[in-house]
Amino acid sequence: MLVSEVHQPRDLSELLSLMRRLPGATLYAGGTELLREQASRYVTLPPELVSIASLLELRQVSLTERFVELGACLTLTEVLELKESALPELLALALRGVATAPIRNLATIGGNLATRSRFMDVWPALACLDALVELRDGSGARWINLNRLADDDGRPAFPAGVLLSRIRIPLERWDAVALRKVGRCGYPSRDSAVFALAARAEKGILAEFRLAFAGERALRLRDVESRILGRRLPLSAKERSAFAVEYREAATVLSPELALRFGTLVDGALDLLSR
Amino acid sequence: MTFSFILNGEDVLVKARSADRLVDLLRERFGLLGPLADCRHGACGKCLILLDGRLAPSCMLPAFKVRGREVITLEGFSQTDEYADIKGGFEEAGLELCGFCDNGRILAVAALLERNARPSRDEILGELSAVPCRCADPETLTQAVAAAAERRARRLYHRARQ
Ligand SMILES: Cc1cc2nc3c(=O)[nH]c(=O)nc-3n(C[C@H](O)[C@H](O)[C@H](O)COP(=O)(O)OP(=O)(O)OC[C@H]3O[C@@H](n4cnc5c(N)ncnc54)[C@H](O)[C@@H]3O)c2cc1C
Ligand code: FES
Ligand code: FES
Repeated sequence: MLVSEVHQPRDLSELLSLMRRLPGATLYAGGTELLREQASRYVTLPPELVSIASLLELRQVSLTERFVELGACLTLTEVLELKESALPELLALALRGVATAPIRNLATIGGNLATRSRFMDVWPALACLDALVELRDGSGARWINLNRLADDDGRPAFPAGVLLSRIRIPLERWDAVALRKVGRCGYPSRDSAVFALAARAEKGILAEFRLAFAGERALRLRDVESRILGRRLPLSAKERSAFAVEYREAATVLSPELALRFGTLVDGALDLLSR
Repeated sequence: MTFSFILNGEDVLVKARSADRLVDLLRERFGLLGPLADCRHGACGKCLILLDGRLAPSCMLPAFKVRGREVITLEGFSQTDEYADIKGGFEEAGLELCGFCDNGRILAVAALLERNARPSRDEILGELSAVPCRCADPETLTQAVAAAAERRARRLYHRARQ
C-alpha cells in the first residue's frame, strides 16, 4: 500500500498523543530497516506512519561519570562521533560493522534495537554491557534491561505500540572486549549472528565476564557467567573447553552451524583472556 | 504532499507522493541524472547524494524525509573547488573507470575529505565500500584519493595565506 499521509509530530508529547490515538501506527526513524528489502519503484509503507527521526527530545546525549544516555534517534554515525570517553569500545565495534557509511548516516540506534524480525548488530554489544532502555507508551515511561527485550525462547520481544526513547549504557572499565559477526554479511539468515564479549580481571581473578550472542535469537547464559566469575587466570585448557561445551550446547537452539562457531569463539575468547 | 527543500543551493517546491523515492524525484522532476537508481535498496551507492552535508542513498529516502532539508547532488557539487580537487586527484593517479559509479564515488570521497583531510588507506577503502565497483582496484583508488587530499590541502593552504 502507498501511504498518503505521514504524521510528523513536532515534539515528544505530540508523538505520544499520536501513538495513543493511532495504536497501530508504525514508527519511522531512519527507515533503513523498513525499506531494506524493497527494490521496487515506489516504497511500500504501512498505512499509518509516524516520522520520529528529527524529534529533538530523541536526539539528546547526556554523560555522567557512571553512564552515557543516548536518544533513540541519534544516527549510528552520530553515536560513532561521540568523544571516546562517552563511547564504549564494544559499542563502537558493533556500530562500525553495520552496513556502510551512507546507511549509518540514516540508521538510528533505536531502530537497530527495536527491529522485531531479528536481533540486529548493536543488540548483543549493548546486551553485554547491560544497557537499559527507556520505553514509553500511554501508561508512562519505564526503564528496563535490554536483555528483557528477548522472550523466554530468546526471540525478539519488542512490545507493539511502544516508543524506545533513550538508551542508558553503564561506563565501566573493561580489560577485554570482542565483537565478531558470523555468517554472510548483509544477508541476515538463520546462520548469521553477532557475538559480543566483555571481561575484566582484578588481581588475577576474573571479576566480570559477559557474553551475548544474537541473530534470529539471543543468548546470554547468566548461570554460566556466574560460574566463570571468580576464577583465577589463566584458566586451564580443561576449564576453557568445559565452558565452551556448555555454550555450544546451549547454542544448538540457534542452529547447528552457529553452535559450532559459538563454541569455538568462546574457547578462543577464554584462551585470549587467559594470556 | 507539496513540500520544499534546498536543492543544490536553491529553494525548490515539489508535489510528490510520500512513497516516491528522492532518487526518482531528482531524475524525473529536476532532470538531475547524476544519481542513478540501480539497486534501489541501499547497497550499490550509485544514487548517493549529500543530505544536510552527509552522504545518503537517495533511493532510501521517501519524499517526506526530505522536507525542509538540504540536498546536494553531483551536479551541484561539480561547481565546487572540492570537485576539481577530486577529479584532478583521480586523473593524476590514472584512475580509469567506466564511469558507472562516478556519482557515488566522487561524493563519498568528498564526504570523507570533509571529515578527515588525510584519510588512511583503511579509512579510504572503508568509506568507498559504500560504492562497490568492478573497475577500480584498491591500490589505484587509494592513490587517487590521497592525490585528491593533497590537492585539497594545497588549495586550502594557499587560500588561508591570501
Ligand atoms: C544495505 C543495508 C545494509 C544493512 N546492514 C546492516 C548490518 O550490517 N547490521 C545491522 O544491524 N543492520 C543493518 N541494516 C539494517 C538497518 O540499517 C539497521 O538495523 C538500522 O539501525 C535500523 O535503524 P532505522 O532507524 O533505519 O530503523 P527503521 O527502519 O526506521 O525502523 C526499524 C524498526 O524499528 C521500529 N522503530 C524505529 N525506531 C523506533 C523507536 N525509537 N521506538 C520504537 N520502535 C522503533 C520501526 O517501527 C521498525 O519496526 C542494513 C540496512 C541496509 C539497507
Ligand atoms: S540505487 Fe541507491 S544504493 Fe543502489
Ligand atoms: S566505474 Fe565501472 S563498475 Fe564502477
